[in-house]
Amino acid sequence: MNDNPFSLWVYLSQSPLLWLTVTLVTYAATDAVSLKTRRHPLANPVLHSLWIIGLFLLLTNTSYTTYFAGAQFVHFLLGPATVALAVPLYENRTRVAAAVLPMLVALAVGSLTAIVSVVLLARAFGLPREIILSLAPKSVTAGVAMGVSESLHADPSLTAVSVILTGIMGAIIVTPLMNFAGITDFRGRGFAAGIAAHGIGTARAFQVDEVAGVFAGIAMSLNALVTSLLVPLAVTYLLR
Amino acid sequence: MLEQIARVLLWLSLGEIAAKSGLWPLPAPVTGLILLYAELAIRGRLPDDLGILADRLLQFLGMLFVPAGVGVIAYLDVFKTEATPILAAVIGGTAITLFVTMVVVNRLGRTIAISREPGSERVEGAARDVNA
Repeated sequence: MNDNPFSLWVYLSQSPLLWLTVTLVTYAATDAVSLKTRRHPLANPVLHSLWIIGLFLLLTNTSYTTYFAGAQFVHFLLGPATVALAVPLYENRTRVAAAVLPMLVALAVGSLTAIVSVVLLARAFGLPREIILSLAPKSVTAGVAMGVSESLHADPSLTAVSVILTGIMGAIIVTPLMNFAGITDFRGRGFAAGIAAHGIGTARAFQVDEVAGVFAGIAMSLNALVTSLLVPLAVTYLLR
Repeated sequence: MLEQIARVLLWLSLGEIAAKSGLWPLPAPVTGLILLYAELAIRGRLPDDLGILADRLLQFLGMLFVPAGVGVIAYLDVFKTEATPILAAVIGGTAITLFVTMVVVNRLGRTIAISREPGSERVEGAARDVNA
C-alpha cells in the first residue's frame, strides 16, 4: 500500500478498525489466560486489558479520543447487555422468586453500607469534601454514578475512576472473601458482587456460575436505582 | 437472530425515550431489562435465538467495560496527590460492602429461601469444588 510504514500506521490509527481490533484481541488474550488459570481472581481479564491497552496507547502516543472512536462499538453494547440480563433472570425466575425477601433486605443494607463505608473511610483519611462526594456513588454502574456525582456538584471523572477501581477490586476480592467466610450459596455470593461491584462484579459472577451471575445482575440493577436515591440523603446526613 | 437483536434494541430505545422524557426515574438499560422481562413473562416462553444472544453478550460482559476503563487510566493523574487515601477508601469500602451484603443474604437466605428450594443442595455441593 505504501513504502513508508509510518504512513500506514497513521492511516490505521485513525480508523475505528485498529482500536476495535486492539480491544478485542487484548480481551480475548487476557480472557484466555483467565480461563487457563481456572478463573483465578488475579487473572481478571478486565484489569489486565486496561493496563495493556493503556500502555499501548501511551507507547504509540495515541489520544484517548482516537482510541474511543474505535472502541465505542464495544462500549455501546453495555446497554443491550444490560437489557439481555432479562433472559437469565427469566430462566431462573423460580429461584429468584424464592429469594425475594432476603434480596430486598440485603439490597437496603448493602446499598447503605456501600455509601456509608466509603464516606466514613474517606473522612477518616482526611480527604476533602469534594473528593468524598465524588467517591460516594462508587458502587453503581458508571453512567448512573456520574449522574449522581454531577447532581452533588462533585467531580464526575473522579467518580468514574472510583467506579472502575471498585468494580475491579470487587471482582478480585469477592471469591477469596466468600471462601474465607465459608459462604457457598452462589445466590448470596453473586448478589453481594452485584451490589458492591456493579457490572464488573456481575461479569465476574457470570464467569464463576450462572446463578451467581443472575443474582449479581439483579443486585446491580436494583442498586443503580436505590443508590441514586440514597446518596444525596446519606451525604447530607454524614457530611453535615 | 436479527429479530432478537432488534427486540433488545427496541426495548432499550423505549427505555431511552422514557429516561429522556424526565418523567421516569430509571436509567434506560434498566427500563429495557424490565420491559424485556415483562414481554417474556407475558409470552411464557423464551425464543431460542434470544437465549443464545443473551448468553453470548453476557459471556463477554467484562470486555464491555474496557473502553470506559481505559479512559480511567488516562485520567489517573487527576488524583495523583491523594491516590493512597482514595485507593484505601475505595478498596476498604468495597470489601466491607461485599462482606456485609453477603452475610445478610446468607443469614436470611438460610432461614427463608433455602428451606423452600430443593435445588439448593446441588448449588452448595458444586460450590465446594470451585476455586472460583
